[in-house]
Amino acid sequence: MRSKGYALSSYCCPVRILLHSEALASLTAYGNMTEKPHSNGPSATLEVQDLHKSFGELEVLKGVSMTAREGDVVSIIGSSGSGKSTFLRCINLLEMPTSGSIRLSGEELKFKGSGAKRMAADKKQVTRLRSQLGMVFQSFNLWQHMSVLQNVMEGQVQVLGVPKAEARERAESILQRVGLYEKRDQYPAFLSGGQQQRAAIARAVAMEPKVMLFDEPTSALDPELVGEVLKVIRGLAEEGRTMILVTHEMKFARDVSSEVVYLHEGRVEERGAPGDVFNNPSSERFAAFIQTDH
Amino acid sequence: MENALDLLALSPPGWGGNLLRGLWSTFQTTLHSMENALEPLALSPPGWGGNLLRGLWSTFQIAAGAYALGLTLGLFGAFGKIYGGPVLRGTLAVYTTVIRAVPELVLILLLYYLGTDLLNIALTSMGFERIDISGLWAGIYVIGFVQGAYSTEVLRGAFQAVPFGQIEAARAIGMSAFKAHWRIILPAMVPFAIPGLANLWLIATKETALLAVVGFSELALETKQAAGATKSYFLFYCAAGALYLLLSLVSTGVFSLVERHFRRGQPQQS
Repeated sequence: MRSKGYALSSYCCPVRILLHSEALASLTAYGNMTEKPHSNGPSATLEVQDLHKSFGELEVLKGVSMTAREGDVVSIIGSSGSGKSTFLRCINLLEMPTSGSIRLSGEELKFKGSGAKRMAADKKQVTRLRSQLGMVFQSFNLWQHMSVLQNVMEGQVQVLGVPKAEARERAESILQRVGLYEKRDQYPAFLSGGQQQRAAIARAVAMEPKVMLFDEPTSALDPELVGEVLKVIRGLAEEGRTMILVTHEMKFARDVSSEVVYLHEGRVEERGAPGDVFNNPSSERFAAFIQTDH
Repeated sequence: MENALDLLALSPPGWGGNLLRGLWSTFQTTLHSMENALEPLALSPPGWGGNLLRGLWSTFQIAAGAYALGLTLGLFGAFGKIYGGPVLRGTLAVYTTVIRAVPELVLILLLYYLGTDLLNIALTSMGFERIDISGLWAGIYVIGFVQGAYSTEVLRGAFQAVPFGQIEAARAIGMSAFKAHWRIILPAMVPFAIPGLANLWLIATKETALLAVVGFSELALETKQAAGATKSYFLFYCAAGALYLLLSLVSTGVFSLVERHFRRGQPQQS
């Protein structure tokens, strides 16, 4: 059952792991977020261009573009039905975009066909790129027949080909960081929503992804459990991880983001640094949105 | 009153001792006749117990083989129905509909004679000798083919009960389609499939009895022969019933262990 195509060395370079373990220390103190330095690296980590997505007649995304450089935290906000979750799910091809391009670290996803028949041209490429895009779902989606530890080890062992002992060690250290070390042998169904979501974040982090995708990670949680999950996400942002975050938590988005993208009916209506757009919204709709709902 | 009780005294002139002796000899006679009655069940000839146990073993072998074949067909059938194109899906729909619509006895007669005939026609047309198919393999193939239709539906239902989010999580983490099925979907299907699959196993053990009509000596036919030869119908059919019950009880125990293992991640529902 070993994955044949991908050796560990190909995309889990030692430098990343070193960075990661250095960052371990920084996560222990969750300070208030200070001004986030904008990284102006030469190339974008994730680049999405002119993404369209239709479900039958209904066009949900009408040309959305987005660029995230290393360390960027891009928050995507908007009312329900604005296409923000669909946009996120198109990035790792859980939904097949009708048109548009996606680049991860300069590598462009290859498609064939067009319109409704459009599909990925290279399945190996898709699984490889997906393993570099850590996805966190609204409803956690932990594998119920595996313990928390097994959930966090599974991708490393089965997809990256990391030896089990090493995967366990890494999984345990990540679980320690998200405060679930004691719960590592529990099955997901026995955990609270907040604990499950933290386990799901640990599962995504264990893959050492280049970009983390959060799809409304706190929307399914009871209000009193939201804080513990946001704290973990904030910690990851402070580590300098590149993240795309679809959220309804306005205040949080404002705090942690380097860029805020406001989607309305499948189009970008407003975008910019959170300080700018929240204080001086140029779009009336966005002004109304942050006024009324949040 | 005292005189009346004296009559029951254990030693003469009382008659109590005689009564007890009478009771003892009644008991002995009963015991003896019970021994005689059970004699036909002795394991070695002239007893028929050995034949019954051999029949039980054949029954178990056919049931196990047919069940395994049925599961394999069911797995292909279920995934064929889920992922297949229109032709495959149509074929499978015919398979599950026809098999589940026709009485098993008819299917067994049909498949047994049709199957062996077709095989022999194929063999002779290729220049080989006709062969006699062993009853064991014929039984496995016939019952397995029937089981496959039911397994297909049980497994298809189980697949559809797996929360879609868990499959998405497997895709999102970069698993290939095969790996996602092997590591995530199949194990997640088991708890939903087990009750239906346990039913199918119990049905398989009993369906073997229908093979008696094509002359395969499994437990039912062995019992019939033993009962016919000894005229102890009641005894032998009770014994066969007890053996079937034993097989069911043991199977149920095994299945509940399997189910408990695969439900380990789910809270107990009281």
